[in-house]
Amino acid sequence: MVKGIEKYGIPVVHMATVVPISLTIGANRIIPGVGIPYPIGDPLQGEKDSYKLRLKMVKKALEVLQTPVTEQTVF
Amino acid sequence: MKLELGKIFIKDLQFKDKTYVENGVLYVNKEEVEALVLEDDKLASCHLEIARPGESVRITPVKDVIEPRVKVSGGGEIFPGVIGKVSPTVGSGRTHALEGCCVVTVGKIVGFQEGVIDMSGPAAEYCPFSKTCNLCVVMEPNGELETHVYEKAARLAGLKVANYLGQAAKELVPDEVETFETKPIFEQAAMYPDLPKVGYIHMLQSQGLLHDTYYYGVDAKQIVPTIMYPTEIMDGAIVSGNCVAPCDKVTTFHHLHNPVIEDCYKHHGKDINFMGVILTNENVFLADKERHSDMVAKLCQWMQLDGVLITEEGYGNPDTDLMMNCHKVELAGTKVVLITDEFPGKDGKSQSLADTCKEADALSSCGQGNATLQFPAMDHVIGTQDYIEMQIGGWAGCVNPDGSFEAELQIIIASTIANGYNRLAARGY
Repeated sequence: MVKGIEKYGIPVVHMATVVPISLTIGANRIIPGVGIPYPIGDPLQGEKDSYKLRLKMVKKALEVLQTPVTEQTVF
Repeated sequence: MKLELGKIFIKDLQFKDKTYVENGVLYVNKEEVEALVLEDDKLASCHLEIARPGESVRITPVKDVIEPRVKVSGGGEIFPGVIGKVSPTVGSGRTHALEGCCVVTVGKIVGFQEGVIDMSGPAAEYCPFSKTCNLCVVMEPNGELETHVYEKAARLAGLKVANYLGQAAKELVPDEVETFETKPIFEQAAMYPDLPKVGYIHMLQSQGLLHDTYYYGVDAKQIVPTIMYPTEIMDGAIVSGNCVAPCDKVTTFHHLHNPVIEDCYKHHGKDINFMGVILTNENVFLADKERHSDMVAKLCQWMQLDGVLITEEGYGNPDTDLMMNCHKVELAGTKVVLITDEFPGKDGKSQSLADTCKEADALSSCGQGNATLQFPAMDHVIGTQDYIEMQIGGWAGCVNPDGSFEAELQIIIASTIANGYNRLAARGY
């Protein structure tokens, strides 16, 4: 999906836990996720802190989306 | 550690008023087994049925398959830390096994991750348990149990029934006795100094959310890689608690009967020196994958292994654990052969593993799970076919009104089991 969308010139940030797979499939902008069952959040920290973490990660993703890259990059 | 495995070959199963073995027939007291299962108040009902090879019978949804075994001597109990005493460790002395019969636990735990066993017809060709006499334990939960509570109750019930049947083998004279021995590491290395030192890296499914395996009762996602004697596994030191794709679910049977371990012993002292098992897991955090593959490589280097075989359980992100282990172990100077199954999609055109690395240049394939097969209607279904469409390998509309259906091979228990206990393979051209 990442590659399919980027083919149309729309940049994609791949937020996923297993970075090696993101690299294998050819994602260009990668943000490591927290864990496979909860990539952007952490229920172990409680709902309040998990929300803060999610907000921070999404804001970072929006910045990364606007960041030019010349090769596959893990942020 | 030395284990004598005494095998009593079972060719039929029948219900009777007493549980015992005579002339290759296992007689089972149905009431005693049902009472044993219903000791757990989490389970509301239990009924037993027998399925034999060649019958027009389908068993589904299947959770686990277990061979009855019993410790005769050497200390410890089967399934230590789970239903047997945790101490002492198992793996030495004498164990008896009722080979040719299995306990099959049946129930809709999560529905989509339980499988199908056909006792005859085309799907029987793909399943090892189509050739065994099966005591099917069909269980219903008591009210609205949370799924993980139901899973645990069904898991323990299956192990208890297998343990109960195993007791019938304790005093028997086995039809065949096989002896397996791996010595302490320095002694073992010195025993065959001219043979390559080979280990087995055994990756346990440990993703959580009902994708769990237990080592002496410890949830495998909480372990760090460790070394064990292969014979410990033959005594039930590893137990399946999994709800994963049926085709490559490593059932408790497959732990007891790990073909990699059995085959390594066949070559032990002839062309390899089988040094032991490195146990590791498949967790859902990248840091765990990195840390544990580092530790696996360290243990290979520590044991000065010349080569290892690696198996995984499941597919998708465990492919990353598999490849990290491969990459790091090769860098540590140990040659690697991978054993796994493949999922290239229905059209066969997708990458068949989710991850890869350049060191993965020797791989033995156990076949692919996406190929489809026609499953004929059976005269009798043990369990229910209500969930076929949502079970992995099925799809909406795949079941016909007469009970026949089309599904991918991955709906069949152990059809592509990624340790080679099956008949599928792939060849490179």
